[in-house]
Amino acid sequence: MDGCQSTIPTSEGDLHVVAAAHHIVKALGATKNLSDDLRKILIDLDAHLSMITSNTDSKGGKGFVDVEERLKQSERKILSWESDPRMIWDSGPRDASGYLEAVDEIQTLVDGLQGLSVHENRKQKELIHRAMSVLQMAMSRLEEELIHILVQHRQQLDPKSITSRSTQRDVVYDESFVSVEDEPTEETSSRNCSGDEIGECIVDLIHADVIPDIKSIAKVMFTSNYCPEFCEAFIGVQKEALEQYFAILDTEKLSIVDVLKLEWTSMSSKMNKWTWSVKIIVLVYLVSEKRLCDQLLGDFGSVSSFCFLEISKATILCFLNFGEAVAMGPHQPEKLLRLLDMYETLADLLRDIDTLFSEEAAAFRVAISSNGSLYPFPGGGVHPLNKYVMNYIRMFPEYCNTLNLLLKNQHVDVADQVIEPDNGTNLSLSTSCPMACHLRSIISSLESNLLRKSQLYRNEALQHIFLMNNIHYMVQKVKGSELRLFFGDEWIRKHNGKFQQHAKNYERATWSSVICFLKDDNPGSSSFSKQTFKERCKGFSIAFEEVYKTQTSWSIPDPQLREDLRISTSLKVALAYRTFLGRNPAHIENKCVKLTVEHVEKLLLDLFEGSPRSLRNSHRW
Amino acid sequence: MPATDYQASFLGRISLRRNQVIAMDGNHEQEDLELFSKHVSERFTELLSPPDDVVFDTLLSISWLRKLLDVFLCCEAEFKAVLMMGDDDHPFQISKPPLDRLIHEFLDRSIKALDLCNAVTNGLDSVRHYQKLAEIAASALGQKPIGDGQARRSRKALNSLLMAMSVDDKECSAVKTTERSWSFSRLAVNKDRSPGHLRQVAKKWSAAKQIQAMTWNLVPPRGAEGSGLASPVYTMSVIMVFVMWALAAAIPCQERNGLSATYFPVRKQWSWDQSITGLHEKIAEEWKEKEKKGAAGLLSEVQKMEKLVRNLMEFTDSFQFHGGTDEKAEEAADHAAELAEICKRMEEGLLPLQMKIKEVFHRIVRSRAEFLQALKQGGKSSAPPV
Repeated sequence: MDGCQSTIPTSEGDLHVVAAAHHIVKALGATKNLSDDLRKILIDLDAHLSMITSNTDSKGGKGFVDVEERLKQSERKILSWESDPRMIWDSGPRDASGYLEAVDEIQTLVDGLQGLSVHENRKQKELIHRAMSVLQMAMSRLEEELIHILVQHRQQLDPKSITSRSTQRDVVYDESFVSVEDEPTEETSSRNCSGDEIGECIVDLIHADVIPDIKSIAKVMFTSNYCPEFCEAFIGVQKEALEQYFAILDTEKLSIVDVLKLEWTSMSSKMNKWTWSVKIIVLVYLVSEKRLCDQLLGDFGSVSSFCFLEISKATILCFLNFGEAVAMGPHQPEKLLRLLDMYETLADLLRDIDTLFSEEAAAFRVAISSNGSLYPFPGGGVHPLNKYVMNYIRMFPEYCNTLNLLLKNQHVDVADQVIEPDNGTNLSLSTSCPMACHLRSIISSLESNLLRKSQLYRNEALQHIFLMNNIHYMVQKVKGSELRLFFGDEWIRKHNGKFQQHAKNYERATWSSVICFLKDDNPGSSSFSKQTFKERCKGFSIAFEEVYKTQTSWSIPDPQLREDLRISTSLKVALAYRTFLGRNPAHIENKCVKLTVEHVEKLLLDLFEGSPRSLRNSHRW
Repeated sequence: MPATDYQASFLGRISLRRNQVIAMDGNHEQEDLELFSKHVSERFTELLSPPDDVVFDTLLSISWLRKLLDVFLCCEAEFKAVLMMGDDDHPFQISKPPLDRLIHEFLDRSIKALDLCNAVTNGLDSVRHYQKLAEIAASALGQKPIGDGQARRSRKALNSLLMAMSVDDKECSAVKTTERSWSFSRLAVNKDRSPGHLRQVAKKWSAAKQIQAMTWNLVPPRGAEGSGLASPVYTMSVIMVFVMWALAAAIPCQERNGLSATYFPVRKQWSWDQSITGLHEKIAEEWKEKEKKGAAGLLSEVQKMEKLVRNLMEFTDSFQFHGGTDEKAEEAADHAAELAEICKRMEEGLLPLQMKIKEVFHRIVRSRAEFLQALKQGGKSSAPPV
């Protein structure tokens, strides 16, 4: 029993107490329904009490005869295994438990002997040393046995069996973001960048059958204060196993210098590889390792987590270092998501991420604002940058919790922030959480960037078309995903208004000058003179043709928006034209009238097709 | 603003040659440069003598290294201020030649320094491992009287410790020792934690080579260049190389063959040169001494530990066969106590040292980003960022 510091009773009264206690213990020991632990305690107590009484009976060497005899027995057993080349635990459960019993016995004797009197007795000292010596031998042997068991019964983990298909994809990730992103079947799993589902999965790293054996060894070693040796051995073996597994995954370690030299395609495929490795190792291997540590060492308090950390530290640092190196390179939005994925996975296990990530998010904003160009985007359609950004931030809600945690200390300068009354939903979903502010600020940067880009167009109308397209795109993306919860209705309303305004501005910019040919200067008079009519008509035709030629090459990607704008324009223009012609019925037959109202209507439907046409080529003509 | 003054600052703005800058602007900067040099010199001179609380006869103790890194951080902060502040008076000064090239080279060196920080961090892991083993050994011998069992227990730990130190020293980076013969073991498996593939920075990476690479193109600025911003860039580069070199010398990290041969291109012109050169010489001397004996890094604590370990090994060996005399036992107990003391130092100092290195790492990363930003803003025609 630990801490049992008994002194030799000197008075008769004490002796009586000891005798009484001894009697009680013996009586209890005879009870049938005793748990193993209780029985052990009683046996220990019995041994101690025996020792006390025997010692008082004869101060001198004879008192230790009993002890010595027991020591000899256990010593014999332990020594017999020293010269045996076999491993104890390979020989069978009886040998193993026999050995452990012997060790246990020695430990008890040591405790008892050490707990005895202050009187320095040569025999006592001799016995203690002898027992400690045997104990050390046993501990050393147990260490070997432990290592042997851990290695012998290690389970092979086949990485391929964990994922359903090979992940050696070198697909350039960013392509999918730009080209066909409007298809409904776009992504199967947005969390897992490489497209494979790796969820948390606990496996047996060591065969389940030997777990009790290891536990019993642990118990014995810990009781004998050989905890450091146990941990050293255990951590050593497990670390090695993890490193071997890491080697199987074939993920090359690179120095920062090397990482920064990588070309994008190379970097991209390495990131894929690494993300996959992180997932397998963290979600499968490390959670399994943690469970193993808990199983084996859970009874010993913090030792379990200490061992786990020591085993997994190097690997996790490895991943973080790689992430840091990648983040140091040129800031491309494409990287962000993958880094996020990697960090999220690590976070679940550790809850302790480098603040580097929050810097990266800020850098993302900077990257957007600094994405400049010298030439306007042809056709005025949705700019690729817009697509990138929107598709990226569409993923943010999934990482909401992590991002909020990381961003909560950052001061975000939000121009567009709209405070929305909290309607009782989850705080992290409200439009005022850190991530939402951050998102709005990102969008803000994007908008300014787009505004700058629009000013590259010389044609004012095109500027408006461009802005209309892009803002409309942003609104659609927000409305059509979880982002709407973070941006809120107010933001959506406001931006709806914005693109509608641009639409109106476009119409004004383009058509007012065209329509003014058709306007009536003198509302009073009923018709124009032939001359005026001719001029007006011609003017209108030329202007119209000009617009037609130019604006058929413009693009409004969104079909609904395109249709709406065409119809709106058509109504305005065709109406004006009809009115114009209607007022001058006499001149309709004039050959300067090249267009009928129906023609005009039809032609207007060609606008924003994205490919230029001329009236001559138009088959409607 | 009076016409003459206006003209002066206008000329200051367009002038590329620093020493033609007229009046106020030029002097201001010159002062800053001189102050910077002075501070560097002072700080490094202080480092020549070991900290008060240290009892070692060698320089590279844990607390000295922490001081060294603090000095680095101070110098770096001042350096950045000098370079960036110059920007207010002369916007985008650093993006103009020849300064832009020098800064790019400097940033290149910084990245190499980052890898070294990681290597050293890995090395600290080894040192912590030594500590754990030493603790076992020391505590086993701490109990009196020393019995056979304790002696053997201690010896086992000491043996593992010496093995670990020698493995780390040879640092065969790509070779993992899997087979080891234990005289009393049935096991063919290596139970000690030898540096595996995860502990490396990368395959075939070499600390010595990396530091050597950092000294490429590291030449003192000459002539007119020497009185401008080129000189603090040079100074800071030398500081960075020295700090990394000292760290690599102290702490076992991947592949240090040839470390002692690092050439330090310094000019004796400036005061700070002498203090850094002095330190360099002192450390190089220690290194040469140890190289012959074969040691796992120059870290004073580790050196001392090794000595004590060998002493104790001797004792435990003889104890096994001849039993212990009281005298020898006393001696051993003393050594064990000293060993425990070293372990305590390590326990207290290693983590702060590790955190300091991380701080240095992040500072370098941040500064690099700032410099790149400044260079970019300064001129689109600059060379693309590294």
